[in-house]
Amino acid sequence: MSKVSELHHTGLIGRQPEPDEASIRAKISHMEEGFATVWLITPAAIWLILFLVIPLVSIVIFSFWENTAQGLKPAFSLEFYGEYFYTKGFFDPEADRFLLPSVFIRTLGATIYFTLVTMALCLAVGYPIAYFLAMQVQAFKWQLALFLLCMVPFWTSYLIRAVAWLPMLGRRGLINQALLGMGIVDKPVSFLFYSEFGYTLALVQIYVVLGIGPMFFSLAKIDKAILEAATDMGATPFQIFREIIGPMSLPGVAIGMIFIFVMIMGEFATAVVVYGGKTSTAGTVILNYYGIANYPFAAVNALMLMLAMVIGIIVILRVVDIRKEL
Amino acid sequence: MTEIKSSRKTGGAFSKISRRKFMGTAAGVAAAGSITGFPNIVQAADPIRTIGLGVSVINEIQSKASKDLGFSIRGQALGYGALFGKTLNQNDQYEVSECYFDMFDVMVPSKVFQPIDTKRIKDWDKVSNLTKTGMLTPGSQIGQGDAPFRKLWVDASGNPTKGPSRYISAVPGWHNADSLGYNPDDTGRPIDSWAELFSSDFKGRVALINVPQIGAMDAAMGVEALGLIKFGDKGNMTRKEIDFLVDFLTKKKKEGHFRAFWETFGQSVNLMVSGEVVLQSMWSPAVTAVNAEGVPCIYASPKEGMRGWHGALAISAKASGKKLDQAYDYVNWWLDGWAGAFVARQGYYMSTTANTKKSLPADEWDFWYEGKPAAKELPDPFGSPLIAKGAVRDGGSYEQRFKKIAVWNSIMSENDYLVKRWTEFLTA
Repeated sequence: MSKVSELHHTGLIGRQPEPDEASIRAKISHMEEGFATVWLITPAAIWLILFLVIPLVSIVIFSFWENTAQGLKPAFSLEFYGEYFYTKGFFDPEADRFLLPSVFIRTLGATIYFTLVTMALCLAVGYPIAYFLAMQVQAFKWQLALFLLCMVPFWTSYLIRAVAWLPMLGRRGLINQALLGMGIVDKPVSFLFYSEFGYTLALVQIYVVLGIGPMFFSLAKIDKAILEAATDMGATPFQIFREIIGPMSLPGVAIGMIFIFVMIMGEFATAVVVYGGKTSTAGTVILNYYGIANYPFAAVNALMLMLAMVIGIIVILRVVDIRKEL
Repeated sequence: MTEIKSSRKTGGAFSKISRRKFMGTAAGVAAAGSITGFPNIVQAADPIRTIGLGVSVINEIQSKASKDLGFSIRGQALGYGALFGKTLNQNDQYEVSECYFDMFDVMVPSKVFQPIDTKRIKDWDKVSNLTKTGMLTPGSQIGQGDAPFRKLWVDASGNPTKGPSRYISAVPGWHNADSLGYNPDDTGRPIDSWAELFSSDFKGRVALINVPQIGAMDAAMGVEALGLIKFGDKGNMTRKEIDFLVDFLTKKKKEGHFRAFWETFGQSVNLMVSGEVVLQSMWSPAVTAVNAEGVPCIYASPKEGMRGWHGALAISAKASGKKLDQAYDYVNWWLDGWAGAFVARQGYYMSTTANTKKSLPADEWDFWYEGKPAAKELPDPFGSPLIAKGAVRDGGSYEQRFKKIAVWNSIMSENDYLVKRWTEFLTA
């Protein structure tokens, strides 16, 4: 094993050299010791089957059930799928809902919109931070210290991080007090909190760290010698970024974006705490129907959300081939 | 949504209850309505199982019952949605469901409970008329919606009957009435009508509860008080009425009338304490909690009446033999007084008021039920100080509150439509 790993890490950072025949054979012979492998995989497999596969399958099954006055009834009904996609009057040019997608599709659309906006902002804010940590801070000690500093918010619960915006942005918050004190406004401004502005700000603050981590690691992996070589060859900083740093950090960007995408698509609590519940997300819709024990429709909503997330991840992976880049 | 009915909160510092409350609230925010369970840890061979909200399923209550009755009772506290689902879909998983009359439009026709024989309820004659006739005292206003007396009476096979019968769907228990809370310094005037919810004076400083079934009723009280529409039954609106209401709310939302929509007890307290909101739908224990933070807050007694809710003890259709007898024992125990006194200290009323009075010291009875100033410092259910000497409970006496219930918490026939339109309203 030690020989294998040695061989794998002798190459330059970036693309690895093709492993030679001996190392492949070493790897294969190791894998043939199947007994240990099975035992190593079993706990994870059981865990995944119990807590991922079975629940997922039951969500799919539930989504076809009927919700009658006598409770849930096993059936194969497409009623709730129809409910999800179709609004009465959609095909009727006279109706005021003509060609207006159903509220559930619109809610999912709004969720995707907020997710994309937040992802863009997280990239804009997170990438420079990751770049600074990886490229500008020379000592490893300081890199680590500053990186941990970025993680400090994670030491408190998610809820605290969301709620903590109130003393900052609220009507009696710090910013309003400053504005009032300086005489810029004569009564507190309210667009800061329980607003789209506050919501976006909080989402970026809560999730940007998930992007910084992967971006930092892929930036830090870039061999400085390549950059020096490029400089020696007369490349401008912009060229270096475009030709080397940018492409080589793409996998980190993609992984970070996937993290953020998945988290915000399933988001519902921030909308309640920071936006004051003034919007619906796909997550809150699921909760609403769970709350009235309409499990089939909650399941349909959950599946549609999952479908949107899978499509989003596929799109991201299409843009960046993580396997190839790593 | 856990706290819909678990709206107990307290001025006291870190008593057991406020800790549990805090955890419940935090979980409620995080899960915004999913399960917050505190399974009771009374374990013994073959206990009977009871499920409910954190209002009635509290370690102390089930432990005391186990001790008094000599058999083991295992309680499971759930969120509202989970309680609803489990009561409906898994009646082999409990002997007793400590549920709410607004669920009964679903539970009674689906026969998940067995009819309870009032002859086996020892204190049946002591249960007040609030749930038997809808009138706590002669001449009280009968509320709209799923009033307990409309859901109570059934025949021997569990089908609803028009009037009194030997059999009932469930035994009436703890209850309360909710209305509006406001900060008098900010409103500048007393609030005595639900119509104020939409007054342009408070534009951008108003909050509504974000539970479609309840929020819609609070809003309907306001719209009706404004004279814009007369609802046939606010507890069972037609599609047309729902459309009218949601269109009105959407217009108001687009004007920026609402500051927020809250989902948990803790959020409603925060909105008031932080000064974000001056007027909102509120539960009475939340008003106490705001006052405990030093922020003035008054629990309004709107002239149109309050919105009531009522808990009940139902026995699963699957319970039989010894388990059934024990379930009856447990239900009877609830009416006996000790439990009534316990929930009184959280601000809830009990259907057997006379028994509660016997179990409560006079000072506490006067404060909680009569609306009189506290003669001395009063404790919460766990013995920690809760009410300062001289404090007065908002909303007046028990009788004042309950002789004028405008509407009871309800699940409408058009519930699915309501939830859909409510989602549209929030997305608008």
